[in-house]
Amino acid sequence: MSKKKPYEILQAEIYDIIEESPQIRTLRLKPEKNFTFETGQFVELTIPNVGEAPFTPSSSHYIKEKLDITIMKAGFVTEAVHQAKKGDRVGIRGPFGSKYPIDQWKGKDVLIMGGGVGMAPTRSLFLSLIENIDDYKSITFLIGARTPEDLIYKNQLKEWEKLKNVNIVKGVDKVPEGQNWDGEVCLITKLLDKISIKPKDNPVVVCGPPIMMKFGTFDLIEYGYEDKDIYLSMEKKMYCGHGQCRHCVMGKYYACKDGPVFTYDQIKNEENIWE
Amino acid sequence: MIKIEKNKFDEFLEILKKEYNVFAPKKEGAQTSFKEIKFAKDIEFNNINTKIPKEIFFPQAEELFMYKDSKIENIEKKKAIAVWGVRPCSAKSFILIDKIFGRAKQKPGDKNFEDPLWKTKYDDSLVFTIGCNTPASTCFCNWVDCGPFDSTGSDVMVYDDGNGFLLEGISKKGIKFLSDIKDFEESNDKDRQNIEVLKNIAETMLSKPIDKDLLKVKIDKSWNHSIWDEMSAKCINCGACTYNCPTCHCFDIQDEGKSNKGKRIRLWDSCMFPDFTNEASGHNPRDLSKDRFRQRFMHKFKYFPENNGDYLCTGCGKCIQVCPVNVDVRDVLNKIIEF
Repeated sequence: MSKKKPYEILQAEIYDIIEESPQIRTLRLKPEKNFTFETGQFVELTIPNVGEAPFTPSSSHYIKEKLDITIMKAGFVTEAVHQAKKGDRVGIRGPFGSKYPIDQWKGKDVLIMGGGVGMAPTRSLFLSLIENIDDYKSITFLIGARTPEDLIYKNQLKEWEKLKNVNIVKGVDKVPEGQNWDGEVCLITKLLDKISIKPKDNPVVVCGPPIMMKFGTFDLIEYGYEDKDIYLSMEKKMYCGHGQCRHCVMGKYYACKDGPVFTYDQIKNEENIWE
Repeated sequence: MIKIEKNKFDEFLEILKKEYNVFAPKKEGAQTSFKEIKFAKDIEFNNINTKIPKEIFFPQAEELFMYKDSKIENIEKKKAIAVWGVRPCSAKSFILIDKIFGRAKQKPGDKNFEDPLWKTKYDDSLVFTIGCNTPASTCFCNWVDCGPFDSTGSDVMVYDDGNGFLLEGISKKGIKFLSDIKDFEESNDKDRQNIEVLKNIAETMLSKPIDKDLLKVKIDKSWNHSIWDEMSAKCINCGACTYNCPTCHCFDIQDEGKSNKGKRIRLWDSCMFPDFTNEASGHNPRDLSKDRFRQRFMHKFKYFPENNGDYLCTGCGKCIQVCPVNVDVRDVLNKIIEF
């Protein structure tokens, strides 16, 4: 996107829709021209005549012709997203913000924690990492949801589990009657007890609801991770996308421009980061 | 420095209008605000308490684009803008907002975007700033690195000596403009002496500034202190302070209209409103009135200085004048220093 046209929109067509859970669906988009982003960065999605809202793509950043965005029904834009049909046209603006520095993670044991719809950005990260899977020593993906029904990307988990040097561990908070489940039943932070942790100089990524990010980070520090190695996706109310409108500020930082990916080390001295 | 007798202002305005759309204070009912001006008789020369001129470059509501199959219409470039009669506190505020909206030019390789709507209006503008001979009781420009005759952000400084205006070029643009206009008298030594007298009198009318070093130390430690509860207790979060602030620049982006002919607009927003940070999930990072009150002062006196080197406040005192519950920014700063 041109630096001079920060509000310019790229049109895209919805070529497929995947219903991930009762509240979450993935729009599969085909932009009018190739769209380049780095995993961790976000875009503004326009539903024409409704409005715009920020989302982090959930597809690999190596794919330029297509783009997946996974969206939970919450506000008026996402409500419109959930009414959209195949063939509808939407708009994309961006990409904005910081990325996961995956080039720096080569040769390391990468740990990812994705909770609820927070799995969307981490799916993009995971898919981008496995493009060059041999570059990493191992990839451990901890996946959490409230109930089995709320777990997203179910169909892909089986494929991912087959990959070598990849360890997928999934857990739900509870299993309501009538739902089947073959994973753990505990909070996502408790999944850390189920894996072998190698905190020394290895990166860990946390993305999910604020409360999970907070206690996840504290647990990781207990396990021996250093502040500089804990990557947090601080998704806020990012409107303009370029550090001007101020809806997303956290202390002196703009989540949209300085983040959304921060290390804990960067932001730990700002007040109220978990709010 | 040239001199314009007040009864010859029409001639000056004609020259200015050739190249510029001229904005100046205009009285409409009880309110004096900056409007496009055709005749000198429409200008309100004496009112120091005009509405702030921010909206000339950053309107309260502004179209980003029209939806015609989601395509953006180009922003049309109009004649450059000249603003006559802003006060030093407003002239400086333009520079401060430009640090956010116009900053892509600052460092190569940074991630900042230029705001085309601001830049097309502000970059070619000519700002005539009139010095304040009689600061108001709410003025505290001298607390925040500004002053009644501060020329920051001005292209031309204007001094009102009672009989006429003395114009001094400040920026390259301003100096060139003055050197190009003819038929006006040059100022003499006595005029310049008069200006010094005016400046000295104005200085004496201002209150003693706070200790800025102490403010820095104390504000950093203030986050959890009960002063924020005490000071915010009466705030009703109406947002009047932010809408009347020359430096506040938060905005919202909204879509208006139906079918394929809607438009996307941006509107002034305010950190005083709960909805400003309320997320679609229902989670609100600044849920309490106190959180929003504190945010406003932290932004102006801590975060903006940390990021940009200046206070995001020029001491205009507008927020003091308009606050319905008498929150006074000077009291807030004093409380921070004294706790």
